[in-house]
Amino acid sequence: MMLSRAVRPALRAGTAAAARPAALNATNAATYATLREIEGRLKSIRNIEKITKTMKIVASTKLTRAQKAMTESRSYGQTSNTVFEKAETKPLEGEGKKTLFVICSSDKGLCGGIHSGMSRMTRKLLAEKPDADVAVLGEKCKAQLSRSNGKNFVLSFAGIGKDVPTFADAAAISDQILMLPTDYASIQIIYNKFLNAQSYEPVAIEAFSEEAISQSPNFAAFEIDDEVLGNLREYALANSLYWALAEGHACEQSARRNAMDNASKNAGDMINKFQILFNRTRQAVITGELVEIITGAAASAEG
Amino acid sequence: MAFAWKAAGFTYNRYISVASRVVRRSLKEEKRIGAERRGESDLRFAKWENGKQGENKNLNTANEAAASEAAHSS
Repeated sequence: MMLSRAVRPALRAGTAAAARPAALNATNAATYATLREIEGRLKSIRNIEKITKTMKIVASTKLTRAQKAMTESRSYGQTSNTVFEKAETKPLEGEGKKTLFVICSSDKGLCGGIHSGMSRMTRKLLAEKPDADVAVLGEKCKAQLSRSNGKNFVLSFAGIGKDVPTFADAAAISDQILMLPTDYASIQIIYNKFLNAQSYEPVAIEAFSEEAISQSPNFAAFEIDDEVLGNLREYALANSLYWALAEGHACEQSARRNAMDNASKNAGDMINKFQILFNRTRQAVITGELVEIITGAAASAEG
Repeated sequence: MAFAWKAAGFTYNRYISVASRVVRRSLKEEKRIGAERRGESDLRFAKWENGKQGENKNLNTANEAAASEAAHSS
């Protein structure tokens, strides 16, 4: 018992001693190189910090505009939804009814996990309804979803997210969606709901088909002619799309701001770490040189 | 049919976008520039079939083409 206990620390010390000189030699041999390497990395991290800081500022200014557009668009979406709430419209249930998912993402990345969160939700919904079709707005979710659910795709739109979405965008998209050959019983618009500046969650809103609207219980109260029903449906879809696009855009900007804020913070931490490492190595090099000079001088004085 | 624009193959959204364009153009100069920016839309779209992406097309020209086609067929 005693022996084994005594041996163990010695063994550990042995391995540690074996490991240490190797590491020391490696750093000693490459001291000058690492000093320059550290300097280079420090420089590049500083540049990255500058870039992320600028992107954060850009996102912040865009965020205020996006939030303004979002609150304005909310009134569009909610007003048009009040009609359906008062009419108590319900999505049609039953077999053989096709569903279309419209996913509102954007073309640009570098904004945390908002696109992947939406893709995940879409995959979950598609797992429940495998025969549903998908129309994607924005390149990011298209790239993510086309790998797993490419078969379900019917339409994809690009060019979204450059600026605050306009109603003209939403109207053109909804026209194209309604021109699809299949008659969808329910169109679900999936977008990121803006909770506050820090958080968002992917949700779905329903855009009803003509059949669903005409079958809603309180529909008669509005006295809508059959002729204009199609118009109402088209307009409601455009309204909902506009709302979803504007809200998604605000989410994206706030998420980008947060992501860039975190990136700048991380870069700052790394700069501190590398600065300390740089100073230490520099001092170590100076000390090493001094020792060399002194020992050399002492040796020549003796001799 | 009460709507002339419907007979011309327009959807309601297209009808209101034309109407809003007219309103925007009749605004005074300084207000008009800001208002017209809100009416811009420059999107591209592609149709998908069996997991394959089709050709990328401009959305507005495609919508116009579809409108004129609908007008001829009806």
